[in-house]
Amino acid sequence: MVELRTPRKTSKASKMDANGETASLKKRKREPKEETTASQKRQRSKPKTQPAANGTVDDAADSQESTLFEQTTNGDLELTDASNGLTTRDTSAWKVSNPMGGRMLDIDPIFSLDERYLLITYNTSIQVYSTEDSLLVRRITLPVTKLDSGAELSSPHIVASALSASAPDFLWVACSDGRIWHLNWTTGEGAETPFTIDVKKVLDMTVESVDIRDKQEDVLFVLQKFTKSSAQIVAYDLKALQKKTGKLIHTYDENPQLLRSAAGGRLIVAAAKETLHIGTLKSKGKTVKGVDDLEYAFHSFGVPDLVTCLDIRPTLQTTKKGGVEIQFVDLVIGCARGAIYVYGDLLSKLPGNATKAGPIQPRKLHWHRRAVHSVKWSEDGNYLISGGAETVLVLWQLDTGKREFLPHLSATIENIVVSPKGSSYALHLDDNSAMVLSTAEMKPTTYVSGIQSLVLSDKPSKESLVRRVWRSVDEISTPLITTSNPTNPSQLFLCVGNGQQASSTGNAPSTPLLQVFDVSSFQGVGKHPIARTNPTDANMTSQGAPIIEPRVTKMAFSHDGKWLASVDEWQPPERDLEPLLTGSKTTCEVSRERREIYLKFWEVEAEDNSLQLVSRINEAHFTTESETILDVVSDPISSRFASLGTDGVVRFWSPKLRRKDGLATTGPEGHQLRTWSCSRAVELPAYGQLEEAVEVSPKTPRSGALAFSEDGSVLFAAYGPSSGAVVAVIDTATGAIRDTIPNLSRGEIRGIEALSSSLIILSEDLTVYDIVSDEVQYSFALKETSEAAKQMTHLAVNSESRSFAVAAPIPNSSQEKLKKGAKSELVVFSVDEEVPQLIQTFPQVITAVLPSTNSAGFVAVDSAAQIWSITESGEQARMLQPLADLNMEESKALVAPVDLAIEDGEASDEEMHDADADVEMEDDDYDVHQAVVAPQKLAEIFNAAPAFAMAPIEDIFYQVAGLFSTRPSTI
Amino acid sequence: MAAEVQPLATLKLPTVVSPITAEQRYWKSFKNQKSHTSTAAWPISHISFPGSSNGSAASHSLVAAAKANDLFAVTSGPRVDIFSIRKRELLKTIGRFDSEAHSGEIRADGRVLVAGESSGKMQVFDVGTGTRAVILKTWHVHKQPVWVTKWSPAELTTLMSASDDKTVRLWDLPSNAPSRMFSGHQDYVRSGAFMPDRNNLLVSGSYDSTVRVWDARAPGGSVLTFKHADPIEEVLPLPGGTTLLAATGSAISVLDLVAAKPLRLITNHQKTVTSLSLASNGRRVVSGSLDGHVKVFETTNWNVVSGSKYPSPILSLSVITAGAGHEDRHLAVGMQSGVLSLRTRLSGATAEKARARATEDALMVEGASSKLAKIDSAKAKRKRNAVSNKSMALLGENVDVIIPTDATNSSGGRKRRVKLKPWQRDFREGRYAACLDSVLDLSSPEYQPVTALSVLVALRHRSALREALEGRDEVTVLPLLKWVIKYISDPRYATVCVDVAFQLFDIYSEYVGGSTELADQFAVMTGKVSREVEKAQMAIITNGMVESLMIGGAEA
Repeated sequence: MVELRTPRKTSKASKMDANGETASLKKRKREPKEETTASQKRQRSKPKTQPAANGTVDDAADSQESTLFEQTTNGDLELTDASNGLTTRDTSAWKVSNPMGGRMLDIDPIFSLDERYLLITYNTSIQVYSTEDSLLVRRITLPVTKLDSGAELSSPHIVASALSASAPDFLWVACSDGRIWHLNWTTGEGAETPFTIDVKKVLDMTVESVDIRDKQEDVLFVLQKFTKSSAQIVAYDLKALQKKTGKLIHTYDENPQLLRSAAGGRLIVAAAKETLHIGTLKSKGKTVKGVDDLEYAFHSFGVPDLVTCLDIRPTLQTTKKGGVEIQFVDLVIGCARGAIYVYGDLLSKLPGNATKAGPIQPRKLHWHRRAVHSVKWSEDGNYLISGGAETVLVLWQLDTGKREFLPHLSATIENIVVSPKGSSYALHLDDNSAMVLSTAEMKPTTYVSGIQSLVLSDKPSKESLVRRVWRSVDEISTPLITTSNPTNPSQLFLCVGNGQQASSTGNAPSTPLLQVFDVSSFQGVGKHPIARTNPTDANMTSQGAPIIEPRVTKMAFSHDGKWLASVDEWQPPERDLEPLLTGSKTTCEVSRERREIYLKFWEVEAEDNSLQLVSRINEAHFTTESETILDVVSDPISSRFASLGTDGVVRFWSPKLRRKDGLATTGPEGHQLRTWSCSRAVELPAYGQLEEAVEVSPKTPRSGALAFSEDGSVLFAAYGPSSGAVVAVIDTATGAIRDTIPNLSRGEIRGIEALSSSLIILSEDLTVYDIVSDEVQYSFALKETSEAAKQMTHLAVNSESRSFAVAAPIPNSSQEKLKKGAKSELVVFSVDEEVPQLIQTFPQVITAVLPSTNSAGFVAVDSAAQIWSITESGEQARMLQPLADLNMEESKALVAPVDLAIEDGEASDEEMHDADADVEMEDDDYDVHQAVVAPQKLAEIFNAAPAFAMAPIEDIFYQVAGLFSTRPSTI
Repeated sequence: MAAEVQPLATLKLPTVVSPITAEQRYWKSFKNQKSHTSTAAWPISHISFPGSSNGSAASHSLVAAAKANDLFAVTSGPRVDIFSIRKRELLKTIGRFDSEAHSGEIRADGRVLVAGESSGKMQVFDVGTGTRAVILKTWHVHKQPVWVTKWSPAELTTLMSASDDKTVRLWDLPSNAPSRMFSGHQDYVRSGAFMPDRNNLLVSGSYDSTVRVWDARAPGGSVLTFKHADPIEEVLPLPGGTTLLAATGSAISVLDLVAAKPLRLITNHQKTVTSLSLASNGRRVVSGSLDGHVKVFETTNWNVVSGSKYPSPILSLSVITAGAGHEDRHLAVGMQSGVLSLRTRLSGATAEKARARATEDALMVEGASSKLAKIDSAKAKRKRNAVSNKSMALLGENVDVIIPTDATNSSGGRKRRVKLKPWQRDFREGRYAACLDSVLDLSSPEYQPVTALSVLVALRHRSALREALEGRDEVTVLPLLKWVIKYISDPRYATVCVDVAFQLFDIYSEYVGGSTELADQFAVMTGKVSREVEKAQMAIITNGMVESLMIGGAEA
């Protein structure tokens, strides 16, 4: 279809190319010309007095051109006119918020020295959390992905972050493209001005504090790619970073991935596949004047397996001259096949001079079945702490060889960090959560949980170092199923898996869990299993293949938020089905026959939002086998759902009192039990019945979608093969089909929505159709028609602002699938105008768009697990802001004593005392976090009613006072 | 934090018409039948106990008195037998009647009893003390047999009577003449009752096929009359006092007194309904009929929820309640043959004790001494703990906190984790074959087909079905085959059975030549499947015929 239309790109398109844009928005026309022109005249007469685009919208949006849509011109003058109007159009009506959230990277979280803060490296930001109350203190956004660098196959990503060893307020963050940020994490400064080093690719980085001219200075050891099969370690200090030239420490002729250093740079260890490289600082007895004076002796030796993680534990001793030197070094490595090797007192085993050491016998500890994702020494060196895909935290007591377990965590353990004082462990789990466990009782004291949706990751998982019988999915092929509860606008409900790795093992990601995510506090509130999941059972078969869990494909809340309908799908993996083949069936068909598609109805408990399964419909849509349920929607005025299946039937579901032998049954608390059942089935007209000429085989895949009209009186069902779907208008009271409208769509139906008298149909076209006047208001053709893009196109309608949003991915031209580097575009239309209100390119693929409840905007979730809020101007996004942004952060005086102690060692006792006094003083404000008042809370009070109908001023005063007054601390 | 290990959840199959409902289970739990045959096999004409007719209307003193009561009265022939509710034993017999006795009713305080007689006499007896009942009062006002005598639920000294002389009378205990006489019935009055919650209202049913409501305050005749097709045998006001049941012939009519209209006619019995009784605190109604059936109705839609058959026509029945909660205790049914059947439901601690005794007895019979010893030792331990706790409590005057010897939590019960059954542990730890063997064991006492199905489905979900079926010998594969053959025709089990059968064919078909048993079982399975296929074909043919008929009908 694209090829057909490309020649019709006229001079307009070439103009766009000059602008660096690939295409333009092109208008398609369906109706007689007079209609269209009339509507456009109306449109042009609109005043254009609003100020020009402000700075909130990104550069890409400012260019006013959509890469999503293509407009078929037909050489019509009127239409060209219209598109000219479009370019001068004003977009300040809508704005896109800064993204929140993100995905925690496989980089060790960092404790601040006083253990009061946890610094977590996200894919696009550094986030500082308070360990006392798990609140987000600061979010430092890093411009990791540049919008203009989309053509590169491997987009830049953060590879390492480390706390500055000499100035603990600073953080070094390295990006794979050679940018290195030096951030002050207590203020957020430094995000805009990275150092840049000239490298092919940064692989890893560590930071050590080295005595340079009797002053402690940070030295960065950067592991960087040199040629395709070699890498270098280069040392930089601040000066060298400015000059962009560091001191080359060592060149490897293989590709190490891991770099660790210890003891003030006296020891650096790099791991490359099955080899370890140990570098020891040659102490020449003279003071180091700069990075150029750093000289290392390197040894390498083979290890039995692929190294996935390592930890060094140096023991220092004081030399006679007063300096320090390494007494001995204990090293532990975790390997890709599950073994842990401990090298005790490693340095003494290395030969004196030779660079190639013979095999050194380590102590082997093997419990993990799959790769060890992290292994760490405990503070005292008596224990090892390790974790991996078994979701078990293992504590190895080295002297006795005894193991202790903390089993059944929520997802694969990615990183373990022992706090500076050794009193707690920080764990980063694969479900985008991090927690701090106290070592004494193994209870979490801090818990940070982000959106658990699938992301496009930069690095392959540690599991994939070894060839497995399965292959993990490296693309996002299905949209994230997200919905919000109409009664609780701050909560998002997302269908997620048991963690990134666990959910991306099948053909399609398995998403058995429903994550409840509170947008206003930006914390995961809870998880409910809504399909079969085995959190405490082995997640692998005995053959080593992962156990596939069902995938939730549709979800909808009833209008009052009391009921939730969900659809989940599971089909047995084809590898199990060989013996079941009969006749000429293929495994694919056999697997389809055994699909389990469940429609489930859940009751939402009013108090705690927990879900109670009320009814499960095994075969809601059924022909000779279970049929896919294409859509489930809820009636906007009554407790009723409608579902559409590939059997071409629309079913209405409604609750009724559960009866047993004619008796209404009651629950344990005496409340009436209800059950859901099909109250009406409406067979949709097949396409063939409308136009005899077209013969469509029953095997052709059908697509469809449903939408209730706003008053619930009419249900629109778009259904049919991609060669021609028909929109049926069903009277919901009688079930009669009132009308059928053909030719509103082209290709697969991706979505249908109703907004007052307009019907918005998204297929390969975006069509807005007026039901009352029975004419197409306007129509656009979507440019992107790739298979992945079809899946990931979203349509959302906000009835409050009478607008709708369309989002679609723009895959890289070089890629078939939606992988890393793909972008997305979101376009907001007002239903009455064919001119987009907002065109915004997002650096990641948008996986879900939904209207925000009780407000005029939209919420988008992207493939980096970030949430974007798209709001009409003047409205406040209901999203959490970091404490720092709310000026709620604690006074600087609190941090001061630490600074003093480290930077000015000679600070007098008096000064220290003063500082302590400050601390005492500030103690009262320690828990000021509770007085965080979001602006929307105030807005709720003051905008509750028009001025003449407001509550008495006294009541308002108490409401406001109640918001600000600190409640007694409960911590 | 760390999730707790949950046992494998059993599947919930689609609900089919369940062979036994909770309600049936409840009424089946009335067991331990005790039969008592009356002297000379006189038919049991009336069973009553105080408090049966009064819902919640009684005054406080009466409620207190009813709680203390342990007696119920059974009228048969010229005798009234007094039984103990608690012991289910005959305590005394009142035989001082000249003719057939009717309607022996004990007052709510359990002290006195009133009964009518065929001679028209009414007598009040002292039943509280002594073995012999003393006559306290005799009225001989009715000239025809007195069929109904009832105590007022509200006042201790008020009672009513109804007689074949077509009158209903209201009495005050000390006086010798009736305080009120209601006349208006055209035939024998054989049933009557006080309306609960409305102390001045009486209701009576007569052989003139009418139910009449009388008001003691209103002069003249009845305030409300319902005319039926058949004579009224029994009337039963429901608690609340707005609804009335009347047994008319083989039907029971439901009458609404407020709207003054019949609500419904229940026609579940085949012969004359002779008796009605409330049960389950007024939420159920039990009826007995000459056809020998006892039926239990729920009171909202009047569906039959349970029933049972007795060997002889039923003349009277009562659900006797006991305890503070007025729980149903006995189902007493009196029959034409003179047999009084008492069925008892144990509840709470008594039920538990009875169960423990039953298991012990069973073990004793079996001779499983080791298990018996285990039970004994557990019992002894409990006793020791109780004793030591008690002794510590005695010591405890100068200590602040007493720590009990056994680890009970605050709520009293011992907190413990759900213990996995052996098959659940096998399943969790990946011994799928062993797990399957134990759940498919048809002879096991814990065998349940749905458990087996759950395990098979879970195995399929875990891609472990083949692993569980593989590597078996002739002996261990046969139970699998037998199970599949047994359930393959059940539509709920069919898909799983088909998968298992395919796998078994795939794995074991090469050994059929070496094992006749295996070959036989496979042949049996093939036969069963082909029969099912035939049935399906027949169904399709029938469906086709019906459809063509329907089309024909629509055209015509």
